Amino acid sequence: MERISCFDSRSEGCKDDKQEMAEDSFEFGDGILMTENLLQEATVPGSSFTALLGLPANQAMELLQDPLSGKPQTVIAPEMWRDSRSGQEDMRYTFNCSPTFPTDAALVERASKFSVFAAAQNSTDKCPVPSNSNENSLKPKSEPADSESNPSSCLVSSDPATPSENQASTKRKEREKKVKVPAKRSKNVENESSKAGEAKDGEKLPYVHVRARRGQATDSHSLAERARREKINARMKLLQELVPGCSKISGTALVLDEIINHVQSLQRQVEFLSMRLAAVTPRIDFSLDSFFAAESGCVTPSSCPSTVTFEPLMWQQQQNQPLWEGDVLQRQMWERDDSHSFLAPENFLFSYNSANSVPLSSNHLKMEL
Amino acid sequence: MASPLISNPEASSDRSLESKKKKRKKTANQNPEDPTRWKTRAEQQTYSSKLLEALRQVRRNQPPASPEAPPRGRAVREAADRVLAVAAKGRTRWSRAILTGRLKLKLRKKKPRVAVAGNCRSKKPGASIIRLKEKRLPALQRRVRVLGGLVPGCRKLSFPELLEEATDYIAALEMQVRAMTALTELLSVVGNDAATSSNRSPPN
Repeated sequence: MERISCFDSRSEGCKDDKQEMAEDSFEFGDGILMTENLLQEATVPGSSFTALLGLPANQAMELLQDPLSGKPQTVIAPEMWRDSRSGQEDMRYTFNCSPTFPTDAALVERASKFSVFAAAQNSTDKCPVPSNSNENSLKPKSEPADSESNPSSCLVSSDPATPSENQASTKRKEREKKVKVPAKRSKNVENESSKAGEAKDGEKLPYVHVRARRGQATDSHSLAERARREKINARMKLLQELVPGCSKISGTALVLDEIINHVQSLQRQVEFLSMRLAAVTPRIDFSLDSFFAAESGCVTPSSCPSTVTFEPLMWQQQQNQPLWEGDVLQRQMWERDDSHSFLAPENFLFSYNSANSVPLSSNHLKMEL
Repeated sequence: MASPLISNPEASSDRSLESKKKKRKKTANQNPEDPTRWKTRAEQQTYSSKLLEALRQVRRNQPPASPEAPPRGRAVREAADRVLAVAAKGRTRWSRAILTGRLKLKLRKKKPRVAVAGNCRSKKPGASIIRLKEKRLPALQRRVRVLGGLVPGCRKLSFPELLEEATDYIAALEMQVRAMTALTELLSVVGNDAATSSNRSPPN
C-alpha cells in the first residue's frame, strides 16, 4: 500500500497526468481487449486489466500466467483508472516503484520463461538477473529506439524511480507501453513457438518494442513491417531535408526520383569541375612562382591584418553560396574586388597548407623553372 | 625578403591550426556517421588542402605525356574522388568502395573493371531487349536499383542502409563541389593575376 501511495504522490505532481492517462487508457482498452480475446488461457485475478497497466513487465507476466478469475473483463474507462489511482482496494498488486525489479525467485523463473527475457538472455548470454541485466539489456534498446518516431517504438526505461516529476508521467506511459507489449508477446509465445520472440528489427537490438496503435493489427508480421517502415521513413526524411525541393513531394517513388536526379547532377558537376581544374592546373606552377615573386615586395606590410579578415570572408562567401544545378559559369555572381581577390588567394593558400610546405613549394617551383 | 614571407604563413597557420584544433574537438564529439560533418569548414579545408596536394601529384606524374584535357580530366576526377573517400575516413561504405575500387583497378589493368564506382552498368537493360516479355520490377525497386548503382559500392544493400549511405554520399558530394569550385576559382584568379602582373610590372 505504501507503494501505491508513492505512486499517488507522484501522480499528484503532474497536473496533466489525468488526461494523458485517460487517452492512453482508451487505447490500451482496445488493444487489451483484443489480446483478451485471444488470451484464452491466461486470466487475471482480482481487478481487471487496469491493474495490469500500472505494473511492470514481470508482474504482468505473473498475472497473465495465473488463471484469470471469473470477473468480467470490463472496458477500461477513465473513471476506473482514477479509482485505481485513488487507492482502490481491489488493486491487490502493489505498484512497483523501486528501481530494481522484484527479486522473488519464482517470479524470476516465470519471467525468464517469456520471450522478452529469453531474448535478453540470448543477447546477454547469461541468466537475467532481475535488476542489472534487465537494465543493461533494456538501456541500449532505449537509446536507438529514441531516434524512431514515438508511436512506432516504445522506450523501456528501467529506472522508474527517478524522482523528477517531469519524467514521472512519461515513465508511467512507458511502463504501460511495456506492459502492453509483453501481453502481446505472451500471446505470441502461446500461439507460436519461440519464433515469435525473434528479433524484429535491424538495429542490432534483440528487441524492438512496437506499440500497436488503435485499430491496427497486432500480429508479429505487421509489427515487424511497421518497425521496418518507420526506420525507412526516418531515413527518407533525412534525405528529403538534404535534397532541395524534396520536402514538398509526397510519395516515396517521386522522392527517390528527385534524389537520383540530385546525385546525378552532383556527379556531373564534379566531372565538369574536374575538367576545369585540369585546364587550370598546368598554370599553377608558373603562376604560383611568379605570384610569390611579385607579391613578396608589396603584399607583406598589409597582409598581417588582412589574414584573418580575408579568410573568413572567403569562407563566408562560399558557404552562403546556394547550390545550383547545372551551369558552373553562374558562379561568377561572386562579387569580389580585385584587391580582395589579389590578397585572398595568398592567404587562402597560406591557411590551407602547413607552414612548412609553402616556402618549400615555392623554392621547389623556382627550381623547376 | 623571404623571412617576413615565411613568418607570415607561420603566424596565420598557427591561428588556423588553433581554429582547426578547436573544430576538430567539436567534430570529435559528433557522431562520425553524421552527414552534417561535411558542412563544417574544417572538413572543407582539410579536403581542399589534400586535393591540392593530390593535384600537384597528378600534374607531376604526367607532365610530358598528355596535352589533351580528357586523360587529365579523368585523372583529376579520380583523384578528387579518392581524396573525398580518404576524407570520409573509411567509415562509410561508399568511401571504402571507392578506395578499394582504385586498388582493384591498379592490380588488374587489362581485365574489365568490375567494381569501380559508377562505371559498371547492370545487365538489366541488355537483358530486357532480349526477353520477349519484359518483366518490370515494381517502380520503387527499380529506383532503388538505380540509386544503388549511383552510390559506389552500394548495389546489394538493403533499402534503409542504402538510404543512409546515400545521405552521407550526397553531403560529401556537395562539399566536394563547393571545395572544387572554390579551388578552381582561386587558381584561375591566381593564374590571371599572375599573368597580368607579370605582363605589367617590370621584371625584378
